[in-house]
Amino acid sequence: MGFTEHGKQCLLPEEALYLLECGSIQLFYRDLPLSIQEAYEILLSQGTVSLLQYQVFSHLKRLGYIVLRFCPSVVPSQYERKLNLDSYCKSTGKRHHKRKRSSSPRLQDKKQKVSGNPLEAPGTPEKASESCGDPKKPASGESCLSEKSKESDPASREGQSSQVATDAVQLSKSPSHSQAKTGDQAAGNSCSGTHPSRWDFTRIAFPNMASDCPHTFLSQPDKTLLPENVAGREADATRWCKLVNQKREKLTRKEQAQQERESRYKSSVNADREVRRCSNWQEYKALLKQRSQHRAGRRPSHLWDQPVTPLVKPDQVASAAAVLKQISVLQPSHILDGASRLQEDMAGMKIDFSVYQADAVANFKKNDPGKPYARMCARRFDEPIPSLRVMKRLAYQSEDVPVVFALVDNGEIAFYSFKEFKLPVDTY
Amino acid sequence: MIQIHVLQGAALVWSAEDAREIRERFRLVGTLVGALARKPRQNTRLGLPLQLLPEEARLLAELGEAILVRSTETQPLAEGEELNQASEVEAYKQELEESYQEQQRLAGAERGALLARLADHIAEGRARRRQERGEAPDAGEDLGLLDSPFILPRGSMMVQLPTARCHSGRIERVDWTSPSPDWPHANCPAHEARYHVFRELWDRGYYLSGGSKFGGDFLVYPGDPLRFHAHYIALCCPPGAPLPLCALVAAARLGTSVKKTVLLCSPSPSGTVAFTSLQWSGLQ
Repeated sequence: MGFTEHGKQCLLPEEALYLLECGSIQLFYRDLPLSIQEAYEILLSQGTVSLLQYQVFSHLKRLGYIVLRFCPSVVPSQYERKLNLDSYCKSTGKRHHKRKRSSSPRLQDKKQKVSGNPLEAPGTPEKASESCGDPKKPASGESCLSEKSKESDPASREGQSSQVATDAVQLSKSPSHSQAKTGDQAAGNSCSGTHPSRWDFTRIAFPNMASDCPHTFLSQPDKTLLPENVAGREADATRWCKLVNQKREKLTRKEQAQQERESRYKSSVNADREVRRCSNWQEYKALLKQRSQHRAGRRPSHLWDQPVTPLVKPDQVASAAAVLKQISVLQPSHILDGASRLQEDMAGMKIDFSVYQADAVANFKKNDPGKPYARMCARRFDEPIPSLRVMKRLAYQSEDVPVVFALVDNGEIAFYSFKEFKLPVDTY
Repeated sequence: MIQIHVLQGAALVWSAEDAREIRERFRLVGTLVGALARKPRQNTRLGLPLQLLPEEARLLAELGEAILVRSTETQPLAEGEELNQASEVEAYKQELEESYQEQQRLAGAERGALLARLADHIAEGRARRRQERGEAPDAGEDLGLLDSPFILPRGSMMVQLPTARCHSGRIERVDWTSPSPDWPHANCPAHEARYHVFRELWDRGYYLSGGSKFGGDFLVYPGDPLRFHAHYIALCCPPGAPLPLCALVAAARLGTSVKKTVLLCSPSPSGTVAFTSLQWSGLQ
């Protein structure tokens, strides 16, 4: 695939080596053509691509798959997909300049991508104004925002968040500390050149406007978050907080009929006077507990006063499935349970490549690859099996694409993956 | 002397003659890991380089038949080497020019032969075309085609991509007895145990290859792997290490289902290796 830097087409080292082995290109270093042996020794090193990773890469390429390096910052998170932000980011990708074919192909050093981005940022306002005027894009305001956002700005955002309520800061600070490392890595990562910058929601602190938060003074938002001709200012939100939920809801005729039907059989929880008296969850739960204890006063003594008591109560369960769930010892768990709270350190295990299906070549676009077929982790065969913590972290990074381990044993490659399945539950 | 190039812990052999000698004379199999030059985009048959197991490389070094070397190509050029570099570039350009001239000559000769073969066809076609156009037949023009000089465009020249290094590059010797970033296996207890077992089985005349496909350390063949299936799956058990029964049963089951005998090998500190084979039998 390669990437374009300053208008010239550059190749990643593993791609260059693969094309050399296929006989499609010739590589020159210090004015001399490289033999395959020399190319192996020069291009494969600990800093770029290791021999192990290259063997997996070339194996998959020879099978026909499309193999790209994995960038964790570019994977749309679940939150972004929920907001449908990933489709906006794709549609506002940078305009494609025509590749300039230079007459003297020279093997240049790979410059850091960070130096590339700030230089291009002043150039984007002109493009942003043009794309905002494009009638095809419905939410053009948001698309301008996403083009201008930078991801290497943790200090100013954390400074801003300290003015807002403390519990909001705690929510954003703990993931931001663990994500700070990935942020730096992502900023210095050389493979995110062709993708537009993304919002990093773990570092943008949204103020807490709920009724449990007494702070209603909103400070001025960070200038980097706003479009250029919009000025942010401070606001006092007390008036708005008072107005929330004041208006009566106007229902349509269909909704009114539905409500009437429901009122015959269902009763609203809020209709209960004692429930309305509760002002927060704690009091409501205490009320529920009190009520259940009342009901429990009717328990038969020969069952409930013995040292061994029944496991379920008749009113607690309505079906066989509920009974089984109540008495089960092992709880079903999913690989992603608690994965977001895990720290970054994974003993060096990381996902190396994203593999895309071979038959999607006709539809494959570099800026919009779509969902990969699998994500590869290239390891040596004699390494120990990864722990559950590492597996959770990898599954979390991969976001619902299966993770496959490519184990290399002195030249022979075998693919292993963990499959998740649920034990069958006998209910009907 | 066979040169084994080490790269990040892997032992690679780039020369085709060396690879052949290793297999024919030393009974060491290895794995080919590069793309096959004639058909690069397939995985069934691969080409050079030949990757050797660390045990195989150490065996060759111990026998004195091979040396382990490392490339120093990426280090900056020293003073005297820059002149060498310039002369190499000159030599390369000279070679390229000579190759171009030769290819041009050959291509021209081939084209001439082709035209001579088809001369009658061409003449016929020309005469017919002239008749259609209504011109007078002209016999003198037919020979002109063969005299025009043929220029081979530079872009369609064939160049060779050599697999192994053409001239001896900058390499330095690697000591296989001490650990280094390119050869981390030295003095590693797991590697030592495996090497003892490997050496013992190799001394008895077997062919050995990697055993990860069958859950073991080595696969033991009575002859060349291209002619035989493996007879044994060798598992290295360091002496004194606990061997859980579950692992033993798993290995035995696997061996029975693939029709190979599981060989438990245990190198003792005195140098000898104790072998135990597992066989699925009845009640006796």
